[in-house]
Amino acid sequence: MDFNPCMKHKLIRKAVRMFAEAELGPIAHDIDRDACFPWEAIGKMRSLNFFGLQAPKEYGGAELDSISYAITIEEISRVSAAVGLCLTVHNSVGVFPIVRFGTAEQKRRFLPAMTSGEKIGAFCLTEANAGSDAGGVETIAVKDGDDYVVNGTKIFVTNGGVCGTAVIFAITDSQNPQKSAGAFIVERDTPGFTVGEIEDLCGMRANPVSSLFLEECRIPVTNLLGRVGDGMRIGLATLDTGRLGVAAQALGLAQAAFEDAVRYSKERQQFKKPISSFQTIQNYLADMATQIDAGRLLLYRACAVKDAGRPFGAEAAMAKLYCSEMASRVTGMAVQIHGGYGYSKEYDVERYFRDAKVTEIYEGTSEVHRMVIARAVLAQRT
Amino acid sequence: MVKMVVCIKQVPMVSELPWDPKTGTLQRDLAEGMINPACRSALEAALEIREAEGGEISVITMGPPAAEEVLREAIALGADHGVLLTDRRMAGGDTLATSYTLARAIEEACPDFDLVLCGSSTSDSETAQVGPQLAEELAIPGVAYIDTIKVSGRTVLMQRISDNFLETLEMSLPGLITVTTGVYTPRYVPLGGLQTAFAGADITCMDAARIGLDPERIGAKGSATRILNVYSPTAKKKNILLTGPPRRIVEQLFEQFDDKIGGAIGKDLKSSKKGS
Repeated sequence: MDFNPCMKHKLIRKAVRMFAEAELGPIAHDIDRDACFPWEAIGKMRSLNFFGLQAPKEYGGAELDSISYAITIEEISRVSAAVGLCLTVHNSVGVFPIVRFGTAEQKRRFLPAMTSGEKIGAFCLTEANAGSDAGGVETIAVKDGDDYVVNGTKIFVTNGGVCGTAVIFAITDSQNPQKSAGAFIVERDTPGFTVGEIEDLCGMRANPVSSLFLEECRIPVTNLLGRVGDGMRIGLATLDTGRLGVAAQALGLAQAAFEDAVRYSKERQQFKKPISSFQTIQNYLADMATQIDAGRLLLYRACAVKDAGRPFGAEAAMAKLYCSEMASRVTGMAVQIHGGYGYSKEYDVERYFRDAKVTEIYEGTSEVHRMVIARAVLAQRT
Repeated sequence: MVKMVVCIKQVPMVSELPWDPKTGTLQRDLAEGMINPACRSALEAALEIREAEGGEISVITMGPPAAEEVLREAIALGADHGVLLTDRRMAGGDTLATSYTLARAIEEACPDFDLVLCGSSTSDSETAQVGPQLAEELAIPGVAYIDTIKVSGRTVLMQRISDNFLETLEMSLPGLITVTTGVYTPRYVPLGGLQTAFAGADITCMDAARIGLDPERIGAKGSATRILNVYSPTAKKKNILLTGPPRRIVEQLFEQFDDKIGGAIGKDLKSSKKGS
């Protein structure tokens, strides 16, 4: 068991950090304040393979292993979690289901535009009455000749406002939703497909999260991933991968908050001493460092299990649960160390604190993750 | 088609530089490595020349086995081959021993080169000597501190800023150029390139015996100079209070610190004083 990062992983971290600090660092604060999607920076990321992190080379991807993927999301999120969110959703729940479940023809048709970043991906499961309960999807697809006619509304769609290609979950039989669910690839210019207003959210404000409306939207049969009835299976497999990305994002946020807290504690003087010399502050820093390390080990372990081709659902759930709750704690401690300044928008820790909270909610809430982990534990032990 | 060799050096990453506060020296064993910034610009120049004229790029570095990392990064950026010169006997070499070692390695690994590109200096030693010395060792023309390069046929046109003048120079190939960090802004590393650099990169590892180096001319043994001490310069602070009416304060400022605060501003003030 070797806990040292290999040369490749070290270089990936350096390369992504160099890009993130130079291109996203100067805008991270402003795009959050203005809730503005950074198209210019996104443009620079396209040719660097950020939009095809794990996709096969033949479709324009970088074919990275999962630890490299996690490091990439971690480093981008360390500077701008909202951009990290765009990437993780695009790569893990936008591109991945097509790579994993698409036919050769679907891959040829959809992947090159997605891996080049020309079309940003979105994943549309959540509805007004379907969140943690994925079986509650009400969007309905009715077969009509060579098309499915789809009607329904998806909410809280990450990348919704900027997506070019979306994977949408719909049922084909309202009497039997679980067994009739399908995953459909929908392109933005499809008639009947419209983007709703951008949500005004607490954090991740540079990501245009929106509702998506499907009204008499005709989707060709050739855009169905797998078969009718595969929807739940595709959704759950996709979310397992997505959870690694959210864990990485939370980890990057925690790392950023920790670094800021260490720096501030050395600079800030009270009672004529830097506050880092006080045991109370040291206790915070020790807890932050330990928890970040624990999260990182859990995440990289889950990635290694995935790359070894073994089931990694429980490991991914543990990594996501721990990293997201850890990020909320660590960013909270960073605000506390900064005192009044930490509560001010003048300092980045306030943004990290707001951004971290949602990692406990999306791609499966902490409560759902505890359920997933408990099921795995109970199944293993007699 | 231009056959290029780019010499690169792994230097400590400045942003994460661990200094020993007691000795004032760099804790090199703790520092992360990176491609020296000017070497990165030299590689960028090579990539742009290849894009314009076609060609092949070999990157060469001398260092410990871990210096392989900078070769992989250069390959990720677009270099075709890497050559790693690593041998304990090469350690501790000064610029003379380094340029001798590099010259023989280039002759061994890329004998039919057209153009050798180096960074103008390195961020960890700043001697700026290896490039010019390497040109001497290879017995080819060499030009230093170049900002822009244009290759056409067997001729290279170059420009550099020298003493506030823009110089245009011409050189026949084969030749050597050292590149500044001024104009060639290095591109970012594409992640797919990094994956390729670890999946199937062409890297040759060479030691002194393979290149047939004279053991008396390499490493610390072959060095003409010795480093006696390395330390960080210490800045001393001294507060000076200038008193009197505002005009007198400004006059004192220029009388005492004209050379430090910029001659141009001082001259403007002096001339306006004469005019008034």
